Amino acid sequence: MKSLMVLACAFALPGLALAADHGPVFSYATPVNSQRELSFDTGIFGRDGSRGTQLSTGSGFGYGLTPHITINAFLPATFGSGSLPESRLVPGSEWSAGASWRFLHSVTSVGKRIESTASLAAVVPGTQPDSGVLADLHRAPGVATTVATGLASRSQYIWVGAGYTRFAEASHDRRPDTLSWSGVYGYRPAALRRGYDQWDYRGFAELTGEHTGNVQTAGVILPNSNTTTLWLGPSVLAILKDFAISGGVQAPIFRDASDSIYGAEHLRFAINFSYLKYSSHSSSH
Amino acid sequence: MKKTLVATVLALFTVSAHAEYEQINLTVFGMDCAPCAHAIRVSMKGIQGVDIVDVDLNTGLVSIKLTPGNSAVVRQFNQAVEKNGFTHKDATIVARGTLTGSASAPFFEVAGTQDRFALIPASTMLDIAPLLGKTVTITGVLPQASKGKLSDTLRYNTITEAR
Repeated sequence: MKSLMVLACAFALPGLALAADHGPVFSYATPVNSQRELSFDTGIFGRDGSRGTQLSTGSGFGYGLTPHITINAFLPATFGSGSLPESRLVPGSEWSAGASWRFLHSVTSVGKRIESTASLAAVVPGTQPDSGVLADLHRAPGVATTVATGLASRSQYIWVGAGYTRFAEASHDRRPDTLSWSGVYGYRPAALRRGYDQWDYRGFAELTGEHTGNVQTAGVILPNSNTTTLWLGPSVLAILKDFAISGGVQAPIFRDASDSIYGAEHLRFAINFSYLKYSSHSSSH
Repeated sequence: MKKTLVATVLALFTVSAHAEYEQINLTVFGMDCAPCAHAIRVSMKGIQGVDIVDVDLNTGLVSIKLTPGNSAVVRQFNQAVEKNGFTHKDATIVARGTLTGSASAPFFEVAGTQDRFALIPASTMLDIAPLLGKTVTITGVLPQASKGKLSDTLRYNTITEAR
């Protein structure tokens, strides 16, 4: 009950992170906020494994400095214990703040654009401990970088992306480096290509993967602590004017991880709510 | 329904009698989703003098009706598109202003603004000499200009003396 109360409070926090991506829930994508657009996100992300279910929630904030640069921050809270491997595709207990830069933006026709976005963020250990083998590590800040590229159109979306996170060493301990990648295909049926004042729906098929390096504890590499996993699943995004809701599930299609260290992760799921505050500020002439 | 019709006719009459830019139809590239259109609409509505904004996502057409006596300029609408990360193409305008220059090199100065365009016919050359120095209403197309710029020519379709 207490956990539920805390969860509810965290859920109700004003958003502070995850720039609303208008896109998939698990994968990397290119959209950034428009200039002066504020986005607030809150959601719940779950990882279910043989040693329990690990939930994370949090508040996200994004602000468009320019039409192509957005600053963002994320303050998470975690619940439950899954003893699971490091993941950067599903939020953990780290706080993060950074910026995204849409460095390629090619608008080719009505309703279509090709773009690429890179982001860089500082990742700082949160106040909550991790679980499993990661729980005993001294934690230090890290740096996360991502890049995504793809096409957005009225009917279809295609994005591919990759990310890399590296943590510093603390007292001879070090969290594993993480290499993540994703590919996503989205589709909006013809009947749903409607006006701005109606619900906008689109569905995605999301393929994600992660490789986490070895865990270093007291200067020693923990044997067999590296992992490689591939995940696949659907997600749906619905937006009406200033509000968006998205959700999805993924199941593993490949898993190379030590069961004795991490157990077996069976399922990932996410649901995210966004509030998008568009700027009505206009320049004087 | 009848009242709405009367109000619309009255509103249109008022607009044609007093407004400067009366209507701007802007083609926007790159809007893929409803939030894109909503963001454009919110930005356009934030410009002083804008009355009604409609966005058609499937054609990329942003239709803006302006209130009488406004002093909005086209550059503001272009900037509203750019700040949302999209690209503006040609704009069709209906505007009221003064015809200056000469019959062979006419200019159109939009009332209440500093916008001034060289006039070239979109198709048929009209005899505009009798209208020089007078207040006119023009419909025409402003060709796409590079980012942050405004076309200095207006391809006109019709020019009529404003009442």
